Amino acid sequence: MIEVEDLHKTFTQGRGKQQRVVKAVDGVGFTAADGRITGLLGPNGAGKTTTLRIAAALIRADAGRVHVDGIDVAVEPARALARMGVLSDARGLYPRLTARENIVYYGRLHGMAPKAADARAGQLARMLEMTPLLDRRTDGFSQGERMKTALARALVHDPPNIVLDEPTNGLDVVATRALRDTLRRLRDDEGKCIVFSTHIMQEVERLCDHVVVVAHGRTVAAGTRAELSAASGETDFEETFVKLAYGPDTGVRA
Amino acid sequence: MTRMAWVVYLKELKDALRDRRTLLTVLLSSVAIGPLVLLAVSALVANIEKRAEARVVVVLGIDRAPTLLNYLQRQTFTVEPAPADWEQRLRDSKLGDPVLVVPAGFEADLARGEAPVVEVVGSSGNQRAQTATGPVLRLLRGFNQEQAALRLALRGVSVAALEAVRIEERDLADAATRAAQLGNLVPYFVLMAVLYGALNAALDTTAGERERGSLEPLLMNPAPRAALVFGKWGAVASVGMLIAILSCLSFLPGQWLLRSEALAAMFRFGVGEALAFIALLAPLAGALSALLMAIAIRCKSFKEAQANSTVVMLVISLLPMVTWFNQEGTSPWHLWVPALAQTTLMGRVLKGEALTVMDVWPSVAVCVLLALLAVGFVARTLKAAAVR
Repeated sequence: MIEVEDLHKTFTQGRGKQQRVVKAVDGVGFTAADGRITGLLGPNGAGKTTTLRIAAALIRADAGRVHVDGIDVAVEPARALARMGVLSDARGLYPRLTARENIVYYGRLHGMAPKAADARAGQLARMLEMTPLLDRRTDGFSQGERMKTALARALVHDPPNIVLDEPTNGLDVVATRALRDTLRRLRDDEGKCIVFSTHIMQEVERLCDHVVVVAHGRTVAAGTRAELSAASGETDFEETFVKLAYGPDTGVRA
Repeated sequence: MTRMAWVVYLKELKDALRDRRTLLTVLLSSVAIGPLVLLAVSALVANIEKRAEARVVVVLGIDRAPTLLNYLQRQTFTVEPAPADWEQRLRDSKLGDPVLVVPAGFEADLARGEAPVVEVVGSSGNQRAQTATGPVLRLLRGFNQEQAALRLALRGVSVAALEAVRIEERDLADAATRAAQLGNLVPYFVLMAVLYGALNAALDTTAGERERGSLEPLLMNPAPRAALVFGKWGAVASVGMLIAILSCLSFLPGQWLLRSEALAAMFRFGVGEALAFIALLAPLAGALSALLMAIAIRCKSFKEAQANSTVVMLVISLLPMVTWFNQEGTSPWHLWVPALAQTTLMGRVLKGEALTVMDVWPSVAVCVLLALLAVGFVARTLKAAAVR
């Protein structure tokens, strides 16, 4: 379970006269329960990535807290990270290592024994249907193959909580569907807590049990799809999202 | 923490050693070049020695000077007539000896006691002919002296009156010191091998990791930051040292190929010297690796890091030259400057001097301090670098 309470974060950009303060996150809060896929839906620049980076202890929040299974991320980052698998916005692999070596390296960094990490890499490869890729260097991998490797790498230590930052970026339909199936299986078979950020409504419609709409650094609405539609008085989910994220006046029908 | 650092170390080392193309370039440019230069120098020296042994003088118009010919032959020199286009050939460096030009009426002028003018023609653009000019001039001075002695003897004056001072040349440098002059090249090449070996790995584990977008996920592991930085640093320093060791070892077979026997006898670089070099270079490899990483971690791309590290490369490659241009020998401060200290100490090893702890400790201390500062900086900057 991941609990995010009222996060705030400002960045200072530039120097001297050109200096300006950007409020990246200004009151984001939500709870992602176990056995559920929580969608963090918001337009570009809404503060989703910053929120997830704070959750992964990569940056410190100015105010607010993140608890992972009851562990405060800011206080005990190593313990919290051990219970989390994060697929961040940046998902670079080591091109001169094979997919297996990439995955095992992260397993070792999580304190796994070499044999256990290797066995886990094989198991994840079967789950993600990437066994033939496993012993190839990642240099010539396609976007989808890279994503699978990065996901396997993030899941190598079998974390109860999974955080994915826009995982479908750059994936084709087949790869996106495969990813959705994997996430559903992780939710249904293993009861994982999955947080999934995206700016694409279809993703949320197809996949998420619980939706948190983020705009201008704030949580503007949260609930199931039906609840959100009911609250905004719209039957179409896209309309619901536009209304919630951009305000009632910006909804220009296509 | 140690185990994590070890995991990072092994991965980074594997990653660096798989970069075959870069390694090959580094091997060619810093490991093979040293022995090649050594061979080229030896070929040059052998050539000079051969010509010194040949005892040949190239003369234009020797038939006008039987007395001179007689003297030259008594000095066991062979006289070769100058080719027709000798001036052009000297200019084009095709002729490796200076040309002695004997004027018309030489013999008659000599007999009358009117000093005839002989020219020794060389070209300062022709290095080979220029170095051979010295022996020819010495030969002519000998001829002068003999003629003068004969004339004085005819007038009943002692030959000793001609010499107010007797001159003898004595060279204090022993074989090892002379070898060290040539050997100046070896420390330089070995030093550059450390630098070029470490450069690519240092940039790849920092700026390269940022550019690839693999630094952010790496920091989302529970492994302590210090373990990540120490592992990376250890791997970079190891690659630098590996190249340095290969470079040191490459000089061992290189010297067996030395063409000049005299040079081979002078150039003392055995297994003992190689080991001393490696021991001296190890702290420097650590310091330079950390320094390059500290510079590169602030850069967003590999390319930017390359541009920024040029300054270090330039300074490190210029520092050893202080000893080449400094006529006053080594000053105590040389031992405190990284790179300069190592070349100075390696030079002493080549001269066969024993190094004491007092000689070595300043450079080691400076390197350790530099490494700690740079590694600390990388550890502090790592997180900010991942997010920016």
